[in-house]
Amino acid sequence: MTRRDATKEEEQGSSAIVFEGVSKRYPDGTVAVEHLDLTLPAGELTVLVGPSGCGKTTTLRMINRLENPSEGRLMIGEQDVMRIDATRLRRRIGYVMQHSGLFPHHTIADNIATVPRLLGWNKKRRRERVDELIELVGLEPSLASRYPHQLSGGQQQRVGLARALAADPPILLMDEPFAAVDPIVRHRLQQEFLDLQRRVQKTIVMVTHDIDEAMKLGDRVAIFEPGGAVAQFDTPSRLLAAPASDFVIDFIGADRELRRLALKRLDSLTLDSGLTAPFDEVVSRARSYLQQAGSGGIVVLDSDHAPLGWLGWEQLKRAGDATRLDALDLQPWRHRLYLHDNLRTALNALISAPGEVVPVVNDEGHYVGVIDRLQLTRQLV
Amino acid sequence: MNDAFSELLAGVIRWFGDPAHWSGAGSIPAHTLKHVFYMLISTVIGALIALPIGIGLGHSGRGGLLAINITNIGRAVPSFGVIIFVFLLVGYGLVPVIVALVALAIPPMVTNSYVGMREVDPAVRQASKALGMTGWQRLTRVELPIAMPLIMAGVRTSAVQVMSTATLAAYVGLGGLGRYLIDGLQLRDMAQVLVGAILVALLAIVTELLLALLQRLVTARGLRGRQGSAE
Amino acid sequence: MNWRWIASNLDTIRDALIQHVQLTGLALLFGFLIAFPLALLAIRWPRLYTPSLALTGVLFTVPSLALFILLMPFTGLSMATSLIGLTIYTLLILFRNIVQGLRGVAPDVREAARALGYSRARQLFGVELPIALPVIVAGIRIAAVTIIGMVTVTALIGQGGLGRLFITGFTLDFTTPLVVGFVLSVALAVAVDLLLVALLYWLTPWQRGVRG
Repeated sequence: MTRRDATKEEEQGSSAIVFEGVSKRYPDGTVAVEHLDLTLPAGELTVLVGPSGCGKTTTLRMINRLENPSEGRLMIGEQDVMRIDATRLRRRIGYVMQHSGLFPHHTIADNIATVPRLLGWNKKRRRERVDELIELVGLEPSLASRYPHQLSGGQQQRVGLARALAADPPILLMDEPFAAVDPIVRHRLQQEFLDLQRRVQKTIVMVTHDIDEAMKLGDRVAIFEPGGAVAQFDTPSRLLAAPASDFVIDFIGADRELRRLALKRLDSLTLDSGLTAPFDEVVSRARSYLQQAGSGGIVVLDSDHAPLGWLGWEQLKRAGDATRLDALDLQPWRHRLYLHDNLRTALNALISAPGEVVPVVNDEGHYVGVIDRLQLTRQLV
Repeated sequence: MNDAFSELLAGVIRWFGDPAHWSGAGSIPAHTLKHVFYMLISTVIGALIALPIGIGLGHSGRGGLLAINITNIGRAVPSFGVIIFVFLLVGYGLVPVIVALVALAIPPMVTNSYVGMREVDPAVRQASKALGMTGWQRLTRVELPIAMPLIMAGVRTSAVQVMSTATLAAYVGLGGLGRYLIDGLQLRDMAQVLVGAILVALLAIVTELLLALLQRLVTARGLRGRQGSAE
Repeated sequence: MNWRWIASNLDTIRDALIQHVQLTGLALLFGFLIAFPLALLAIRWPRLYTPSLALTGVLFTVPSLALFILLMPFTGLSMATSLIGLTIYTLLILFRNIVQGLRGVAPDVREAARALGYSRARQLFGVELPIALPVIVAGIRIAAVTIIGMVTVTALIGQGGLGRLFITGFTLDFTTPLVVGFVLSVALAVAVDLLLVALLYWLTPWQRGVRG
């Protein structure tokens, strides 16, 4: 391949990462990775997961040559990484670490602009890029002139992500990026990161020891077993449906049926249209709907067609015929379910719901249907 | 230059070989003993003053600003000037010189013992209180043993410094190995000057090693490997 | 105090002060130029650390006058003797603090620099050195103040800076030159110390409001 082609490759953006019989042994005889064959597809998010000491982190670190393979070939697109100068290689691969690893002596803006500076971008271009990134990762613009120690752990992690994305690298490596923040922040960061990936579409490799995180975020998941070999490399739903070995079953855990629910979104089901009544309907009419449908309750909608609350048969029986429904004591739902929520969230909502169904709304908050226990159980089998 | 150098070396060897320099009042053993005596007495008196202050302040947690900065202040004071100043004020006398040496020995010991006491983990302090120890028991059985490495580091620093200043004090008449240096310089007797310098250097290094050993011996076994100076 | 003596000897005092500053400045400069590469070697090959520390420690233990005199067979009564001796005294403190400072850089930060594509030299000068600066400057402060006091001793071998005024006072049995030298020496130490504190404050904007 000519030099010109190589440059083209770099600019083209996402390229696959291919391990061909890669091993990593240390001088003291420890084997971190043993004869690894793995193709991480371009533009996808691959998660490497496994117990500690299984070689997943070493595998990640070989991609940008923080460690060099002892044998085998590691290709990014058509290029052998060992033939690329290590520092040049690293500047076109984003890297996010567990503890943000921010430079304490640089402002947030300077931290984010690290790689652009190394690449020799001019000041104006750097500043524009920093502004873009601060917005992209959801940080307050006023934080730009602060120093890392003045930020919370979650904010620092966002800066770490912005820094990794600064030069718009086609590949992003993430070493337990959400492990060091508290669970609530972690959940939010994961959610935002998924949205972000949908927009930027990079080849992302992430290491985690948290199987939930792997299943939630990964397009594909590689489960490593002790000794540095891959037990299974597949999509999350295939891992759940067809685990390759006892180790995989064990690692995915006993509640893998529930995990499968988490992989399906409500909009992939045909929802029951459910029984509804507008808020200004009178009790006598609502009673007759219920009797016709043989249902135990009804979803009351407001003027915007958004679910207002649940009315059970017992309540309707006691109320006066001419009373408007919104004058009654409606029972609200604790969780609002959106079409893009997954079935596990739906199950949680159902458990705490006042009736036997939970209404589902679209992004605008308009009612689209209901989900009930029967529908969910059907998905489990 | 080469010739002069070997001649000088021969002179030094001859000097060491001369039996007259090994016995009597002005001999090497006599000067060495005197030197060690000045160092010991100044360091011990200094410790008797400095350690109660540093330990007391550290135990109570008061006066930290003074305790920490006194070493910095002491460092800025040129000890050679102090010695000459004392001489000009009261004339030569063993007592004034020793007083000056003691004064110069105090600051590092105050600072180190203060820092050593302050660095006792507050959880350990709390625990010893919770176990029902009296103030005195806490001090002698918990805080002091933990602070010992740093206290000894302070003593070491002071002792070495006193050794150096005692050498300079020969300039105003103090005995000891400094005499060889000062007298030799006066007489332009380079062999004698070098002999003195070699002896002083050796004595300082030996003292340092012995004190390092002592520091190790008084350090509780569980604390070994983390001693250092508070500088 | 005899003010007339001061007035009629201003030139002498000024020259002594200038030499004092020169000796101090040069000793720190040379000390740093030796201690810095030595520290880098000791970090690269940790086995070198303990012997280097022991060697500089022993040299630091040798009483100043003895050290200066041990150099005299090689460099005589020249300024070089004083300068070499003073430089040797800075080594322990500078070496120790440079190593401690550089080792104190969090492994995460080091790793981040490597992963983002810093070259070795750039990582050292752009990341590790700035972060180690507070500890290194703390060492320079101690070394500077120690050396300023020690320069006076070199008066006994024909140099001395403000120490020459001590000798003058001693020879003439006259306190004024002694007091002048003493006060200027202490003032110089305090001034240099404050200057270094200010310099550090200016060089490390990220430290402000963190710790003292």
